[in-house]
Amino acid sequence: MTSIDERLFDERMSRGRVLRLGAVGAVGVIAAGCGGSSKGSSAAASATGKSDQAVTLNWLTWSDHYANDQLAAVKQQTNEQGRPQLFSDNADAYLKIKQTGSQFDIVSGDALWVPKYNKDGLTESFDLSSLPVSSQLYSIARDFSFWKDGSNYMGYPFSWSTVQIYYNPKFVKTVPDSWHAVLDPKYKGKVSLENIPTDMMAIAGKATGAKEPYNMTTAEIADAKAWLTEFKPNVLKLASQNNEVVRALADGSAWIGITNLGTDDRVKDAGGPLVKPAYPSEGTVGFIDSEQMVVKSKNKDAFPRFINAMQQAPYIAQNFITNGRPLFNEKAYKMLVNQGHEDRAKRLLYNQPDKALAMTLKGPSGNEQAYTDAFNEVFGA
Amino acid sequence: MEGSSPGVGATQPADVALPLGRPGRRRWTSRLGEYAGFAPALVLFGVFFLVPLGLIVCYSFWTTVDYNVVHDWTLDNYHYFFSVPTYVSTFWATVWVSFAATALALMLAFPFAYWLARYVSKRYQKVLLILVILPFWTSYLLRVYSWLTILGPQGAVNRFLEWTGATSQPVSFFLYDRPAVILVLVYLYFPFAALTLYASLERFDWNQFRAAMDLGATPATAVRRILLPQIRPGITTAVIFVFIPILGEYLTPQLVGGTRGVMIGNLIVNFFQGAQYTRGAAAALLIAALIVVLLAIFRRSLEVEDPYGT
Repeated sequence: MTSIDERLFDERMSRGRVLRLGAVGAVGVIAAGCGGSSKGSSAAASATGKSDQAVTLNWLTWSDHYANDQLAAVKQQTNEQGRPQLFSDNADAYLKIKQTGSQFDIVSGDALWVPKYNKDGLTESFDLSSLPVSSQLYSIARDFSFWKDGSNYMGYPFSWSTVQIYYNPKFVKTVPDSWHAVLDPKYKGKVSLENIPTDMMAIAGKATGAKEPYNMTTAEIADAKAWLTEFKPNVLKLASQNNEVVRALADGSAWIGITNLGTDDRVKDAGGPLVKPAYPSEGTVGFIDSEQMVVKSKNKDAFPRFINAMQQAPYIAQNFITNGRPLFNEKAYKMLVNQGHEDRAKRLLYNQPDKALAMTLKGPSGNEQAYTDAFNEVFGA
Repeated sequence: MEGSSPGVGATQPADVALPLGRPGRRRWTSRLGEYAGFAPALVLFGVFFLVPLGLIVCYSFWTTVDYNVVHDWTLDNYHYFFSVPTYVSTFWATVWVSFAATALALMLAFPFAYWLARYVSKRYQKVLLILVILPFWTSYLLRVYSWLTILGPQGAVNRFLEWTGATSQPVSFFLYDRPAVILVLVYLYFPFAALTLYASLERFDWNQFRAAMDLGATPATAVRRILLPQIRPGITTAVIFVFIPILGEYLTPQLVGGTRGVMIGNLIVNFFQGAQYTRGAAAALLIAALIVVLLAIFRRSLEVEDPYGT
């Protein structure tokens, strides 16, 4: 099966090919279901095959968690149609789930947001091992302590990335290996980053030595705000989407980007110049994504089958090629290596999932209002 | 005489001429019929505008604690906005940008509409009007994004300047600043201004204009003293259609404004992204309050009982 998978995912994802790939995935789903351990075998059975009735799963997520062709192939395979609705920030998604009841079936969430959802009774834990596809995950991804709920898991591990510095060596001669390097006045109007107030405050917290960047004290918030104030003149724009940061680096209007792993490849793909990563000595913040089952969903039975089909290695490998940040599916990594993408995968730390735990994990702020207030007070006119 | 139909005497209101069966019942059902047309709009605005607006008003007086809206009535959100200089300066920057973009849009739209209404044959007027609304056939986002391509370092403007030899390398001045925001807003809202002014000019009796010039008025005087007073409602409507939506803009400044082109809408979005609904509601209501004040002011300009102030 591996050779067929490898051949397919690396080709251009035409609709026909994805449907074929879906068929291969289906074989994998069934094979994995048959070969699963006796524990959770009934759940495994419900995680494979096809739903008797067509099901639509409303999925609150980010755009890099799926491909439209992938959804079509999974629909053909499982009779379950994923219907994504996008959100920008975790807080936004959290409130939507809180306020909409059974309107959504699945919600994507970052690292420490996942236990918040769970603790607040918005999502439901499940037996991760009951999903045959989970055997494709790195073992570390099946063992995140902050996602454990007894013997269950709060979400299905998907991808991760540090939020770090990328710079254009043509203009930035000294490696910006500290967050303070981006304050240099010679980079005036040359830094681009995403407009996510909480994360920017957390980065400012890292730069100013806050103990818990997502849970800063009033004094630490004041320090972070002062850092942002000094940083503001260097900011070209606060991008609404990550691809705007890539674009700014590609067309040369930005020399520095504060953004996810894989930006160097995406800039190159966009016809831009060489950009290099730099890891600030103060450390970075980062995300670990997951897919969670909404507690009020009326389609909870469909969740395992849908996730099991969506997370198959061929899709995940293709997702890596498209979005260029590491994911937790080890089998997909092996496929990438076999297909000649080892350098890229290693450069983007795909084979080092343990690094995900070295960064400051994204999570809810202890005082979101103070974070947003401080951010707005800096970036207002 | 006001309100009567042509041919119906001043002492005989139009409804009296209707055939009578049971007068009281007829009048009641007739009135109900008149209001039936209003019902869909009433439902639409009641359910999807007034109720949400009421909720926003309530939210603006509540607080947010740990991502939960707490129903404790307070003026804290409003007090916060007026006590932080950034919000006041952003608010005025928003008004200033809206004013500049509206003025420029009208300055461009008026000569165009004048030329269209006065000098172009009816047949070609239709063609040109279709061209004016043509941009509406593409999405708003696409139209704004296209300006990134036009104004960016690799964009058409920079390439042209390099081609002419005016610059030797891309100039970053055109993008990510307030002038870029104003330019794109003028482009986006020009059709609203042009169509509204055209509708007004198209109904204007040009014989009055010619009469004024026959009596010795210069073209500029005729425009100022004859034309403009009579199309004042059209100008006011154009201002309303352009100025008020721009006040709430956030996407254009987000995409082409950079950190120097921020408007109040961007800060409101940050509040909602961060789940600070109560702060966001208060900021949004302050903009709404400004709009209500402006509408009250504009209302007088919409009444043209005596355009010459005699």
